[in-house]
Amino acid sequence: MNESSSPHRPLQADLPLAGEVKPQLELLGVTKRFGGVAAVDGVNLRVGKGEILGIIGPNGAGKTTLLNCISGVFRLDGGDIRWEGASIAGMAPHRVARLGIGRTFQIVRPFGSMTARENAAIGALFGSSDARKGPKEAFEIADQVLELVGLKAKAGRPVAALTIPDRKRLEVARAVATRPHLLLLDEVMAGLNNVEIDEALDMVRTVHATGVTVLLIEHVMRVIVGICDRAIVLESGRVLAEGEPEVVLRDERVIQAYLGERYAKRLRASGDEDGTN
Amino acid sequence: MANFVQLVILGLLAGGVYVAVGVGFGLVWGVLNIVNLAHGGLVIVGGYITWQLFTALHLDPFLTLPVNAVALFVLGYALQRGVINRIIRAPLLFTFLLTFGLNLVIINILLLIFGSDFRSVTPTYSGQGLEFGSVVIPYVSLTSLGAALLLAAALAFILNRTRIGLAINAIAADRDAAQLVGIDLRHAYAVTFGLGAACAGVAGGLIAMIQAITPTAGEPYTLQAFVVVILGGLGRVSATVVGGLAFGLVEAFGQSIPGSGSVFANAIAFGLMVLVLVTRPQGLMGRLR
Repeated sequence: MNESSSPHRPLQADLPLAGEVKPQLELLGVTKRFGGVAAVDGVNLRVGKGEILGIIGPNGAGKTTLLNCISGVFRLDGGDIRWEGASIAGMAPHRVARLGIGRTFQIVRPFGSMTARENAAIGALFGSSDARKGPKEAFEIADQVLELVGLKAKAGRPVAALTIPDRKRLEVARAVATRPHLLLLDEVMAGLNNVEIDEALDMVRTVHATGVTVLLIEHVMRVIVGICDRAIVLESGRVLAEGEPEVVLRDERVIQAYLGERYAKRLRASGDEDGTN
Repeated sequence: MANFVQLVILGLLAGGVYVAVGVGFGLVWGVLNIVNLAHGGLVIVGGYITWQLFTALHLDPFLTLPVNAVALFVLGYALQRGVINRIIRAPLLFTFLLTFGLNLVIINILLLIFGSDFRSVTPTYSGQGLEFGSVVIPYVSLTSLGAALLLAAALAFILNRTRIGLAINAIAADRDAAQLVGIDLRHAYAVTFGLGAACAGVAGGLIAMIQAITPTAGEPYTLQAFVVVILGGLGRVSATVVGGLAFGLVEAFGQSIPGSGSVFANAIAFGLMVLVLVTRPQGLMGRLR
């Protein structure tokens, strides 16, 4: 899977990279402003092929905005985004999708007038241009993908008849059906109960096992710790911390950003009493 | 009784034209959310192409219909790609103004080329028909109905079975999500408008065989298309077919009322539309969302 045969030259030496992997996706000083507010402010990020990277951060930290920058929904106000070494900044969303960058929406957005199978087929019919398919094959791919996410039995149902967890599965199915090399998941676990989260985790692992790089936004820490190789923390549009999930989540600045300064102090005090941690 | 049968037949036959006029209008409205005020103008462009080919090359008018479809598709694609796409996310009023303006441009170009004389297409078989006792079925109207149903079937096939058709359905459902699975929005929009224009072109060819046309003759057809689409229900080709045929029937019976006549055609049409909007807002065949 890896393409590490070519010599890897670090562009930003201070950024750690999981393994000696050539970055598949690289963000260089990515900035997006709305009026005077910088929702994403000079974010540097490298994602290696085959990685599962988690993005966490408090509400309004710019997580979804960052995904919108990558998928071409927003034009950048500064910086550059490189895919397999070539700049994709300013590219139209459908072109980014055809390069093999699939995504889901935080609030699910299925094609409401269609069945689950048709939704997935639309993804297969368009999507990655290096594996373009005709309608017949697209429906075959749709069936495979629906089986992968556990929706096979409900393939023929209209979207309106699906439960919320099932709609989230469908959202992932449609993105996976585009045969992405990189999958951007925007809070696919939000609003699910524990059992459903376990199922969703299995689903992400299964998709990842087919060779897909995964970049996911999540508030559920169990998910971040459970499947991510690496996590970055965004706060006010900047990268606050980056590293192994367990380490990042114990970072005092991260706790402060999430829970406030006083809580962080109290936690530090209690940690001192314990003598460890 | 024979009179009643005759009215039903004439109504359904006239409905064929309304089906043809309505399907393209309904497609553009349903997918692009544009109430295309230039639809009647495009219909008449189709009428003039048929007239020109019939007069200059003596082609059978029904054989000109595919030419109309192709020519108007190209025109429609170019209009959407070059002009209408620029305001696709603007409020509805802007698309009203733009398509109203386009209609004026189309009419005036037609006036420059063809003048304001009435033109009609009269093949040798026009005026003839099948006769069953006192009931007459005119050949031209019968073939027109067949052509209109064929047009609707072709459009339904494109929308439900082909790659671009599925893309059009997807953008109608959620344009942003469609874009993020790799659908080229501008192209899909342009194809949608092109298909709508192609249907208008075919409708124009059918109309040229039934009535004399002038460059300004298109306006009633924009209104009728609007009524037909509301009558049937927005969003499905089959609904527009029902709407068109129902409209034809209502018009035929309305005009047969003593003292009525064609003067009241618009009043009847809009009265019916208001009635449907009040009693069944989703249309005769529409589904509530």
